[in-house]
Order: sequence, then structure tokens, then C-alpha cells
Amino acid sequence: MTKPGLSGKLSLFGMLRRSLIHRRARSISALIAMTVSAGVATALLTLYADLDAKLHKEFRSFGANIVITAPASAPLRPDALARVQDIAGKDALAAQFAYAVATTDTGTPVVVAGTDFAAVKRLDSWWQVDSWPEPSTADAALLGQRAAQFVGNEKAVALNFAGHLITLHGVGRIKTGGEEDSRIYMPLAAFTAWTGVGPSVIELQMPGGAATVEATMARLRQTLPEMQVQPVRQLVEGESKIVDRTHALMYGAVLLIALTVAVSVLATLSASVLERRRDFALMKALGGSQMQLMGMFLLEALTLALAGVAAGFVVGSAAAWAISEGNFHTAALPHLSVLPLVFLLNVTIAAMAALFPARVLRGLQPAALLKGE
Amino acid sequence: MFFRLLMESFRRQRRRKMLAGIAILLGTTAVTAMLALATTIGDRIHKELAVYGANIVIYPKADLLDVKVGGVDVKPASGGAYLKESDLAKLKTIFWGNNITGVSPELPVQMSVARHAGDPLVAASAVGYWFDHDFSGLKTGAPALHPWWRLQGSWPTAQNDPGHRNVVVGANLAKKLSLNVGDNFTVQQTQTAGSAQSSAVVTGIVTTGNETDNEILMTLRDAQTFTGANDAVRRVEVSARTKPEDAFARVDPDSLPPKQREIWYCRPYANSIAYQIREAIPGAQAEQVRRVEQSEGNVLKRISGLMWLISAAALLAAGFAVSAAMATAILERRGEIGLMRSLGASKGAIALLFYAEAGLLAVLAGTMGYLLGSGLAAWLGARIFAGDGGTAEAILIPVLLPVVVALALIVAIAGSTPSIRTALRMDPSAILRADA
Repeated sequence: MTKPGLSGKLSLFGMLRRSLIHRRARSISALIAMTVSAGVATALLTLYADLDAKLHKEFRSFGANIVITAPASAPLRPDALARVQDIAGKDALAAQFAYAVATTDTGTPVVVAGTDFAAVKRLDSWWQVDSWPEPSTADAALLGQRAAQFVGNEKAVALNFAGHLITLHGVGRIKTGGEEDSRIYMPLAAFTAWTGVGPSVIELQMPGGAATVEATMARLRQTLPEMQVQPVRQLVEGESKIVDRTHALMYGAVLLIALTVAVSVLATLSASVLERRRDFALMKALGGSQMQLMGMFLLEALTLALAGVAAGFVVGSAAAWAISEGNFHTAALPHLSVLPLVFLLNVTIAAMAALFPARVLRGLQPAALLKGE
Repeated sequence: MFFRLLMESFRRQRRRKMLAGIAILLGTTAVTAMLALATTIGDRIHKELAVYGANIVIYPKADLLDVKVGGVDVKPASGGAYLKESDLAKLKTIFWGNNITGVSPELPVQMSVARHAGDPLVAASAVGYWFDHDFSGLKTGAPALHPWWRLQGSWPTAQNDPGHRNVVVGANLAKKLSLNVGDNFTVQQTQTAGSAQSSAVVTGIVTTGNETDNEILMTLRDAQTFTGANDAVRRVEVSARTKPEDAFARVDPDSLPPKQREIWYCRPYANSIAYQIREAIPGAQAEQVRRVEQSEGNVLKRISGLMWLISAAALLAAGFAVSAAMATAILERRGEIGLMRSLGASKGAIALLFYAEAGLLAVLAGTMGYLLGSGLAAWLGARIFAGDGGTAEAILIPVLLPVVVALALIVAIAGSTPSIRTALRMDPSAILRADA
């Protein structure tokens, strides 16, 4: 592809290569600018894409947001927990509870709850427990810190439920600042064998916003019509509100930073194009048309932009990964889906940087410029 | 001469100065806005997290166990210990008293109710609360600590005539008794026939989504006269601004040496506020509500961490952009440098001139960027956190001004240095010939 009017040896790509290599310092600084803009855009967009999922995950620490209660007349069906888990998906955490009021050896009535300790440990991460019982021990018990004061011997907790006696091995205390402090927790199987009472409540932690929780509740009501399905209202409402606001804040931040970087890069690049008025004048004097010359500048800028996107995507994905790992302790994997947007952004900046000075250059007289006026 | 050079440079090379100035302006705007948001995000998110309710709960140390299953309290009505309502004023006197943003005492009452006088009585539990109570200047009460309660009608107010109490009824109970706002119904202390009956007016119906839907809500004063326990409260919920818990917060303060203990005491951890409440109110046990406190701390830490990291990213990006713009601005002026050198200016004098220009630009554009960024942060904050009351105030953090300007100065000077050095190292005649 030879340019008409120029020597046959000078191809467009030859000129491009020479221009990039000859002004190495300038090319490198432009490349750095394009890399920074692409890198920042990639990092922010990658973080932004994952943000909601990550924040919803943090809200898991608040525990159950749906409570499923059996009607007073009948206990839960034996397969209820499995069906709830099936409906809610495997990301949801669920635990079932059975309650009864027993008396301690000091004659104080106390609520005893039967549950699966492994499930509770995951669901109620805010419980402060000095030592969780081994899953194998059937007679292990956790004592609420207030309940413990009404128990004679914490190592051998003697309880009486309607004349049925049981002695549990207390392995630790629970501290929550809530109702749990006044209760004694024990494994469900031992509880049912002792009291004959089956589980009546399932607590479910459904990750996601209000819409997901509502949809899950509707499905639960449909499949298990005899049960009462209630949201923990403050959790569902609060979570959506905070996630939405953080999302909006992040959106503002992304726009602000992208604008800053874009305008600064634009300023740098267009200055460097403007500086090459002499090249421009020389080429024009040798017979290049305005369109050809602008095409030349544009091609050069686009090449740099492309290289910037390639390098910036790598750098930006690494930055997003580091931020995510540092803050949320989970990795944000590179999102290929942000690439088109980053590419578009960088190309727009590059094109504007090349075309912006066009008006200034068009009015120039090559002869005057070459003479140094 | 130096000042003249400096002034003329700004006067004559407006375009170049504009480019570098805009880069600095935008950079400082972004950095100021992000830093201003990051420093205030804690308070804002704390306000949002207030929807989860109290994070500290106070109850009498000598109290019996709560025997509650599914919201039904089977604790024996008699007995149990009380706290004094008059002692609550001491909450304001503790070290972190100003961090207490809400107080809601409760007094549960067992009563029997009937739709009309003469109808069969139904057992119901009632709770006395503060509603719009003036707590030494702080308007607080149960609605403030339970923002998820939905009220139809109005909260009850204390009436002088004890025969006509104002109450709010939970939605389920209202349905059961077919009560509407404005209706009268009969209340009696026990289910036995002989005891005195009085009537109550429903001023509102509340939906809460939990056991309160089956309860009657009355003013604390009415609940106290009903039970005959003056000045008594059973439980107090407190909402306080706290610092997320760390390892130091979890230690037992009494096991610490005096100096460490002082530090622990003077940090607004939920644990230290609870400790101070225990000290201030005799016979009280105060605990953090771990479900709220721990999880709030967690969420707060993540969101503010994210904001700080984004601010750092903004800082880095702005730094790159500003130094690139400065480098370009100097590179463009190699001809000038060559001319000055050939006219006999020393390298030091030329460097000084360029650094002075960069510095002046950084200070001017940096100050403007600070103002613009503060405005932007206030605007963004008001838009995003709209409707929380009192968040629309401008965020003008004076500490940020020197920080931002100093950063702009450092970045501008650091950005110009390589270009200035390259230009000074070149032979003046070569520069002049190339640029002629």
C-alpha cells in the first residue's frame, strides 16, 4: 500500500513504525497514558460487575432472613428441611430448631432447643461460642450465658421435661446479647428422643436482595402451603437499601475517575499531536491531503490505544483482583465482558485526541510553519 | 526578572497552562470527592444500618431467664427484677454518652382484653414503650429504634384520665378482635371476673412482621400505672455509634494494666460502651447485641474499605494523569529552554522557573479542585443518601485542603522532573536548531 505522491518505499505502516520508534519517549508516555486509562477502567468495571454479589455475601453474617414456622397443631414434616433447601438452592443456609421448656436442677424453667450444631455454626456466625461441640457427641450442650447461671453443674446439666430426665454434657457457653443467652442448645436427635418434640422452625439465610427473598418466599409458600413463611423484615429491607446505596456510590466514583483519566489522557495526547505540527507541515508540503494526514495520526493513536487496552486489561484485572482479595477476601476474576467497554472508551479517547487538533492544523500554511513562523 | 518570566509564561501560554491546569483540577477534584466520601461513609452507613435496631441491650442483672418460644413469653408474670426509668438519664453522662443515638425502654404487662364490655376476655400481652420521648434533648423511643414498624394511625400519647388509655394494637391482634383505628375496647388486669375494668382507645395499628403483631403497645407511663410498678422498666434497647470490634475490643478490661485499660475505655467499642453503662446504672447488665453489632461492623468495614481502595485508585490515576500532562507541557517548551540556556541562564535558574510554574499551577488548580471536589462529594452524598435527614450538608473538610494541595504539588513536581532534566541535559544549540 503505497501512498500516491510519496516515494514508493514509504508505506503507511512503515511511516507508522518509524514514527512510533523514532519518537520513543513520546510514544512510551502516550502508551503509558492509554494503559492507565484502560487499566483504571478495567479495574473499576470489574469490581463494579461483582459488587452486588460481594456485598450480598457480606450480609450473610446477619443470619437468617426467612423464618419458616410449622402450624401450632403439627410439627414440621420430616422432609421439610430437605425440601426447603431444595427450593432455596445450595447457596442458601438453613437450620431447623425444636423448642421445649424444661426445668433445670435449680428448679428454673428454661427453653431448651434442639438443632444441628454444624448448620447453626454456619448460619449464625455472630454467636460467640468458646468451643463448639464435636458433631459425634450426642449429649453435648451449649449453654446461653444467662441460662448457665441457673444451672447447678455446667459439666453435667440435669434437665427435667415433664418427668423425663436427661443429663447433658455442657461443652461451652453462648454469648449473643439476644434470646439465645437464655437458652440451652443440644443436638436435635437427642432432643427428640428425650422430649418427643420434633422441629418446628426452619431458619433460612437466602443470599441476594429483596427481590430474591420475595421470590423464594413465594415458592416456599406454594410448595409448603401449611407452613408460615415470614421474612425478617429489617434484614431484607436494610440489605437492599445499603447495597443499592453502595452501588450508586460506586457508580458515581467510577464515572468521576473515568472522566478524570479520560480528560487528562486526552490533554496529554492532543498536546503531543499538536506538537507535531512540523511533521504535518512537511507531509502536507510533500503532497499529502488533509484526509490522509488525519488518517495517519488517527492510525497512530489507535495503535497506541489498542496496545493500551491489551496492557491495561491485564494491569486492571490484577488491580481488581488485589482490591477484592484485600477487602472482601474473595478474588474478582477477570471479566472479559468489560473488554468491549474499555476498548470503546480508549478508542474514543484516542480518536478525539487525534482529531481534536485537526481544526488548528487545518488553518496552518505549511510554508509558514516550515520557515518557523 | 524571575517573576516577570513567571507571569509572562502564564499570560502568554494560556493553552498549555490550561491543559496542565485542567488535568490537575480534575485530578484533585476526583481525589477530594473520593476522600471526602470515604471519610464520611462510616457515619452514613451507620445511619443506614440503624434499621437493624439496637446494638446494645440493658436488663436487670438479677432478672429471671426469658422463657420465650416463638415470641410467646411463658415466664412467670410475678417476680423478676426491674430497672429504674429515672436511672436512664445517667446514660447521657457516660464517657461515650454523645454516641448514644437512641434509647427505648420496655415494660411488658400481662392483661386481658375484650372487644366490648361483657364479652369473654382474651389474654394478651402488652408492652409499655417511649414513643416520642424527650430524652434530655434527644427525641427517641421505640419507633426510632424499630424503623421497620409500619404504623397506620398515630402513636399513643399519655392521657391524664387513666380510664381512657391510648394504645396501638399489633396487626394480628387487631384482626382477631376486629379493631380499627378510633375504636374502644375493654382491658382488665387479670382474667378473673372481679377486677376493675377500664377502656382503651386504639390510636393506631402497627405491622412489624414479628411477635409484636400480637401485642398491645402503650405508653410506658400507662404500663407502669397498670402494673402498679412506678418508675420500672424491664429492658432497655440502646442504639449507639460504635467502632467495629477488633481483637483489642474483646479483651477483658479488668485484666489490662491501667494505661491500656484507659485506652480501651476511651474507644467507642460496643463492649466499652456496655461496660460504661454497667458502671453508671446500678444493678444493670448491658450487653452488645452481637447479631446487629458484629454484622454491622463487618459490613461497615467492607464498604469503607472499598471506598478507601477506590480513593487510592483515584489518587493513582490522577497522579499518572497529572504527571503525564506536566511532562508534556515541559517537553513542548524545549525550545524555550534552549534559548534561555544560550542567553546564559544557569541550569538551576531554569529548573527553578519551571518548578515555580508547576508549583503555582498545582496550588491554584489544586485549591479549585478541592472546592469543586467538596461540592461534588456533598452533591453525590445528598443524592445517594437522600431522605435520611441532615445528610445534605456540605462536606467541607478543612484537613483535606493542605493534603490535596500538597499531593497536587508533589505529583506536578515529580511529573515535571524527568522532562526538565532531559531538556537541561540536551545541548542548547541542538534544541534550537531542531526547533527553528
